[in-house]
Amino acid sequence: MDALSAARQIAASGLAAQAERLRVVSENLANAQSTGSTPGSDPYQRKTISFAAELDRASGGSRVTVTKIDRDPSAYPIEYAPGHQAADENGYVKMPNVNVLIEMADMSEANRSYEANLQVVKQAREMIAMTIDLMRGQ
Amino acid sequence: MQPVNLFALASQQADWLASRQAAIAGNIANVNTPGYKAVDVEPFKSVLEKKGVTLVATQKGHFGAMASQQSAGVPKLREDDRTTATLPSKNTVVMENELLKAGEVSRGFELNTAIVKAFHRMMLMSVKG
Repeated sequence: MDALSAARQIAASGLAAQAERLRVVSENLANAQSTGSTPGSDPYQRKTISFAAELDRASGGSRVTVTKIDRDPSAYPIEYAPGHQAADENGYVKMPNVNVLIEMADMSEANRSYEANLQVVKQAREMIAMTIDLMRGQ
Repeated sequence: MQPVNLFALASQQADWLASRQAAIAGNIANVNTPGYKAVDVEPFKSVLEKKGVTLVATQKGHFGAMASQQSAGVPKLREDDRTTATLPSKNTVVMENELLKAGEVSRGFELNTAIVKAFHRMMLMSVKG
């Protein structure tokens, strides 16, 4: 595979990875207030995503893959709400361990990385178009 | 025979620019990957000066892909040692530098194709008379 097509494929893997990351962020944000339904039960557990570089034999470059979507094991914050359906015998409810500010920062970074990968795709496409343009008669 | 040499030179530079684009694409795609080290190709000047191309594995497991590329005359990838502060994740990609490099590659490629076009036109002029 020639280098420019390889560049496009590597950038495409970057786009897919960042889109996956954005999906995880949106899941976390949507469920930032999702508690359990029975008394004392666990709420929504924040999800985390991990990337790894993978050497692609065909193109000879490093594409990025999503290794796994894991759960964040950090402790749940506790709120005092005696009437809540998930309140334990002392009236405390476990809330999801999602920090909205962290998720927003993650989202803007995913956005920026996505745009950068898109730029690489555009540029590789332009370079190929320029090369083909050479054949055009004057 | 001068114009013929120029076409070979331009073709070599086009190959080098395409390899550099692939390296930049790899860096940008792996900007969030823990432990990833940024790569870049060697400068075009050293590609021109080199007569024999030696095989050096810069990353473990790269040898297979690099071997086939070396025989085609494409410059080897080297680990980019111009790193700034190292992040806790040991990732050395600086997004801004990658985008600047991408801009350089794009301009270089435009210049390359423009030169080839111009000389092709001149050759046709001399042939047609």
